[in-house]
Amino acid sequence: MVDVNKLREKAKEVVSRDDVRLLIGYRPGTYGFRARPAFVQGPDEADELIFTPACVNNLATYITLEEKLPVPRGQEPDLRKVAVMVKGCDSRALVQQMEEKAYDRDRILVLGIPCTGVVDMAKVEAKFPGVLQRGEIALEGDRFVLSFNGSKEEVPREELVADKCLRCRYPTPLVYDELLDEAVERFADDDYSDIAELEKRAAAEKWAYWEEKFSRCIRCYSCRNVCPMCYCEDCVLDRLQPQWMRRSVDISENTAYHVSRAYHLAGRCIQCGECQRVCPVDIPLMELNRKFYKDVEELYDYEPGTSVENPPLLSTFKVDDREDFIL
Amino acid sequence: MAEKTDFEPNIVAFLCNWCSYAGADLAGTSRIQYPSNVRVIRVMCSGRVNPLFVMNALQQGADGVLISGCHPGDCHYMQGNYYARRRFNLMRNFLEYLGVEPQRVRMSWVSASEGAKWKEVIEEVVNGVKEVGPMDQFKRRQLNW
Ligand code: SF4
Ligand code: SF4
Ligand code: SF4
Repeated sequence: MVDVNKLREKAKEVVSRDDVRLLIGYRPGTYGFRARPAFVQGPDEADELIFTPACVNNLATYITLEEKLPVPRGQEPDLRKVAVMVKGCDSRALVQQMEEKAYDRDRILVLGIPCTGVVDMAKVEAKFPGVLQRGEIALEGDRFVLSFNGSKEEVPREELVADKCLRCRYPTPLVYDELLDEAVERFADDDYSDIAELEKRAAAEKWAYWEEKFSRCIRCYSCRNVCPMCYCEDCVLDRLQPQWMRRSVDISENTAYHVSRAYHLAGRCIQCGECQRVCPVDIPLMELNRKFYKDVEELYDYEPGTSVENPPLLSTFKVDDREDFIL
Repeated sequence: MAEKTDFEPNIVAFLCNWCSYAGADLAGTSRIQYPSNVRVIRVMCSGRVNPLFVMNALQQGADGVLISGCHPGDCHYMQGNYYARRRFNLMRNFLEYLGVEPQRVRMSWVSASEGAKWKEVIEEVVNGVKEVGPMDQFKRRQLNW
């Protein structure tokens, strides 16, 4: 795990640079074990930075939000770099964004954090309900050590770690200007067993499963807003002319919403799990994203967010792509 | 099931202007009889078909959707049908994963000279959809204010 003093020193150095506007990192949240994004603009603010297994957010999202800031008339856009801290999975969002030419590589400065896994806050909160004071989480060997209210608890890693980390292929960032710690070796792989299990069911059973999930959706759009790959300025979900989806929350419109969201991430979703994490009604969005992820890998031997040189999947083709399904 | 045998599906077909639409036209002018369940929407290229069109057709009451374009290599715009093929393959798998029977969403290559093939494609699509019955899953229901 990254040494916090070293992290803060590095951050100070970075935000003091003339060509850096801002550093996006993590700081402790206001209660419980939570961490939250920190936007550090001066060296004095760097002392609040942390990196722990509670740092779940994918900060790559904020890079594209920064890109979208409107510039008042008569004012020059601020073209200084934005520095960002990324875990392995988060770095893939940067790779994918660059693959899509969302911004230039030299607009950002990447501090890579080799990662051994983050916690699933829902699992933590189920185990330690109602911790209101600030607590801390650290990973020591194969156990999470949680300190709060003056006491210490140890929990085996598998019990609290996020599901995505159990199938993490790239714990060390794939793109960085500086790596803040020793690279971590791959410790897991993805066999898609969860998706394969769902695929095997009968059509009616599948629809019953998804109908129940989709009917719970309140269309808060959090899953879209948090996604680092959802950065179009003009989103099809917001369109009124033509209006692809009505605003009503019913099964038809909700299904259309979920199909569109998942499809727009086909060959682009980098498995950071943010969409599912923020969903207030626990819809297993990763089961939708992962279907595409699996198919894209199996059909086109393509893994999003792994190489800046890869052209985006759906804007290319091979003449000999499969077509045995075509009449 | 009695209702299923009487069931006449609504099929929405997106046909590319240069091949499939002309192919369907040829079937017409050649007086080839084919099932009348198809509602044709002419697009300039199968590459124009956004997967959302398919979703939207199903929401608006289609029981099946067909996308048809030029054979690979024959696209008027050189490569539109290749893009369509990738997109469609993913769409088809995804809808199946959600519980939409694969018979409902189909793709075909029909050229301007293949009036007879057009008839076969339509028969196959219509029969496939008849087998699985009406599509109710995504249907947009009219609100009674
Ligand atoms: S998926 Fe990998 S890189 Fe991402 S948080 Fe988990 S272990 Fe770290
Ligand atoms: S769809 Fe979800 S998992 Fe995929 S990139 Fe977006 S937030 Fe991450
Ligand atoms: S976060 Fe959940 S409830 Fe909100 S729009 Fe997404 S799926 Fe629906």
